[in-house]
Amino acid sequence: MKPFHYVIIGNGVAANKAAETIRHNHADAKITLISREFFLFYYRHKLPLYITGKIDETDLQVYPVEYYRERNIRLRLGQIVQKVDLHKKVVYLKHMEKVHYDRLLICSGGRSYIPEIYYPFRSCFTTMKRLSTARTIREKLPSVQSIAIVGGDLTSVKLAETLIDTGREVTFILDDYAFWPLESASEIRDSLENALRKMGANVISNDPLNMVKQIKDDDPPLYEIQTQSGKTLQAQMVGAFFGFKPDIDFLIRSGLDIDRGILVDDQLKTAFDDVYAAGDCAQIYAPELKNYWVSVGWKNALRLGEAAALNMVGLTGHARKPAAHATQYKGIKLSTPWWHIL
Amino acid sequence: MKQTDSLVIKICGSAGDGAISAVEILNRACALMGFHIMNFDSYPAEIRGFGKSVGHTRISRTPLLTPGRYADCLVALNDMHAITELKRIKPDAALVYDSRPPDYIEEDCAVAGFIEPGMSGYGVPLRELSAQAVKSARSRNIVALGAIAAMYNLDPEAFIEAINIRFARKSAVVREINSAALKMGYEYIRNHRERPVHKTLLAVKRHDRPIRIVNGNEAAAIGALDAGLTLYAGYPITPATKIMEYLAKKLPPKNGTVVQTEDEIAAIGHVVGAGYTGKRAMTATSGPGLCLMTEMLNLAVQAEIACVVINSMRGGPSTGLPTKTEQADLNLALYGGSGDSPRVVLAPANVPECYIMTRRAFEIAEAFQTPVILLLDFFLSNRFEDVDETVLETFEPGMFKRLTAEPVSGKPFERFRVTDNGVSPAAFPGMPGLKHAITGLEHTPRGFPNYEGDNHRAMTEKRRRKFIELQNAWPHPDVTGPKGQLSIGVLSWGSSIGAVREALASPELKGLSIGGCFPRLLQPLQTEPLKLFANRCDRLVVVELNSSGQLAGLIEQTTHKKAMRLADVPAEPPAVEQIVRYLTGVLK
Repeated sequence: MKPFHYVIIGNGVAANKAAETIRHNHADAKITLISREFFLFYYRHKLPLYITGKIDETDLQVYPVEYYRERNIRLRLGQIVQKVDLHKKVVYLKHMEKVHYDRLLICSGGRSYIPEIYYPFRSCFTTMKRLSTARTIREKLPSVQSIAIVGGDLTSVKLAETLIDTGREVTFILDDYAFWPLESASEIRDSLENALRKMGANVISNDPLNMVKQIKDDDPPLYEIQTQSGKTLQAQMVGAFFGFKPDIDFLIRSGLDIDRGILVDDQLKTAFDDVYAAGDCAQIYAPELKNYWVSVGWKNALRLGEAAALNMVGLTGHARKPAAHATQYKGIKLSTPWWHIL
Repeated sequence: MKQTDSLVIKICGSAGDGAISAVEILNRACALMGFHIMNFDSYPAEIRGFGKSVGHTRISRTPLLTPGRYADCLVALNDMHAITELKRIKPDAALVYDSRPPDYIEEDCAVAGFIEPGMSGYGVPLRELSAQAVKSARSRNIVALGAIAAMYNLDPEAFIEAINIRFARKSAVVREINSAALKMGYEYIRNHRERPVHKTLLAVKRHDRPIRIVNGNEAAAIGALDAGLTLYAGYPITPATKIMEYLAKKLPPKNGTVVQTEDEIAAIGHVVGAGYTGKRAMTATSGPGLCLMTEMLNLAVQAEIACVVINSMRGGPSTGLPTKTEQADLNLALYGGSGDSPRVVLAPANVPECYIMTRRAFEIAEAFQTPVILLLDFFLSNRFEDVDETVLETFEPGMFKRLTAEPVSGKPFERFRVTDNGVSPAAFPGMPGLKHAITGLEHTPRGFPNYEGDNHRAMTEKRRRKFIELQNAWPHPDVTGPKGQLSIGVLSWGSSIGAVREALASPELKGLSIGGCFPRLLQPLQTEPLKLFANRCDRLVVVELNSSGQLAGLIEQTTHKKAMRLADVPAEPPAVEQIVRYLTGVLK
């Protein structure tokens, strides 16, 4: 008889916590983690340190391979989910393989978000959601002295700090879109602006980006950035940090309810039996609000992964809405109204 | 990006998928670039369309001793077969697979599903690209070669040159479309991978030396041709058949004859008959065939007739494992036959030695009027190496020469005269004044049957004594390692020598008190140098591919010292890693 098969799409914090919880509660089940990235589960928040050479790739790793071997968790890295058939309970992989599941958890996370109005400049932008892109930046960085950062999410603040620490000139263009999916973020912007100036960054605020173009195709290249007020500056790298959007393109036409993320109830369950979602890609219903909230941050994802897994193995877990002001960095207190109402 | 001294590449498919021919082109291309190669394919015993075929090659900037067991790159032309090869790849290996097969494959049937952390998956639409290039999927193997060229920074032009050589007899269209398929695989990797290169080989200079890519069978056949072979008689048997196939093409133009006989008994009968007339004749067979030949070989021993037999060993007993390697026919070669039946047994260690020892075998057979058995095996017969042609050209004939009789008037000719060195001057039918009798019965010096004890003792002694000269004249076994007393002395023979030498040179064992001793002449065994080596060693270990430790038994008899046996029958060449592990364990 075939073992009960839990398939988890994703290899981030929610996915790994879920796998661990399932194994703990269902010893003889088959557990498969599918990730489009080639790397073992890593600390995303340490990527800025990795980029600037302060730590190595192995320091990013959360668990070694042996961790998965010991727990008999099958890791399918570098494999892309092409589509899912939730009626037949099959995950279709891009390399034309069918993976049958009994219960599915989607923790596919997010990918770097570039606001539509900036699409014309996206070839000039460097993003850093994944380790593969971080690797490329790390390789390019030694020849780069001046960096412009457009946006303003937490990762970009950490990156600015480490870049300034390594003697590089950083100009930060704080952009309203940086706080997507938050609509109004003046409080956060002010807080960030002050913190960035203290770090030693040049900050351009209340002056949105108008145009970016490459003016020199060299090593390093040179970009010209223009704001709407007509300010221009040059930089050898332009980082774009507008947060992320759920990586759920493979779910188009799957029948799942999707708004900005996969809509799930407070037990992380979708409208389909045996299909759950957790982490950055999920939009979770809060009964007390009669509305949905999205997850941000490591600890939050950890809790959601655990709750989803408990429900999947037949126990009960509830998504607990985190308190406001749950995220702080360098004294920047990030109010989190979007955790309440989108 | 990792740099490496050598790369092991496996291309795995069903028989007929072109895995073997792809590796052939890869070998040629790498040899053209100046790399050394060692290639050992494995394929099913059955006919085309069944079973797994694995083209396996190792590429290096330095000369190679083994083809390596664990691959840096596995190309899957057939997912199910490739899955079974995953246990023979390195933890950081690259896996090339068809990313767009015609339909979805069930879980656990797609090789891509087995990519472990640390490995690199290279999905390439092999079928699609092949269809674009040649209008069918049959050049998937060539597309995969293009991918390999890109993944290892190998010059695609060398691959195209190799394709042109491989398809030289085909039309220009065939060469062009296969070159196009290669370029498609190459460009796909370059354009679709952020980091196309998996590993790079340390660079070598392209050279102009004439290089032949030959396997042990071909090298032995070429050696026989260059030795002046006039008759080859044989009955097809894996893994020796290729010798006959090669000679069937090459010997008749040189006025020689190839006869495919009805069985092995007839084949050795032809060869002994030709030897009786003074012609250079040879047969090649494998274990089951050698069993059948033992009676006729005994006749050649008794009648002191020169003949050469190549025995390419495979897994046994009986029909055994026709397409798997083993070294379990040593006892049969040494002792097969009734009575005291001394003969010469040689075991080359690599492809150039197959050439050299086959040539030398004819000299020995004639000089000492004896059967000479050359022990190859499936691995050595089928493994390809790049051989510098100048090495073959520098062979110096005449190390041993036939002593031909001259008629002495008034005295009857004694064909089997008992001499001090045991060698009697030879004569052949039709030579004036040298009439003599030949028989399988014990005989007098003139060749007439005689059953007296004194005569039998004298003749038996003479037949053994004649090899003392060979023992003395043959180069002493290779001895490697530190001078002085050794913790371990490792002995091995034939095709296993390479693995032992590589193990001894490995970082784990290098610098330790371990030495090696590698005889090629297994009968008569060179007792003195072996004793000298054994006396220097606290422990002896014999590495060979048989279960009972056949050489180990011989070494114990000779050196009067107990030998530990790393004797295994894995149906594949010995693994360096296994030898290193074993010796490390012995040292503890």
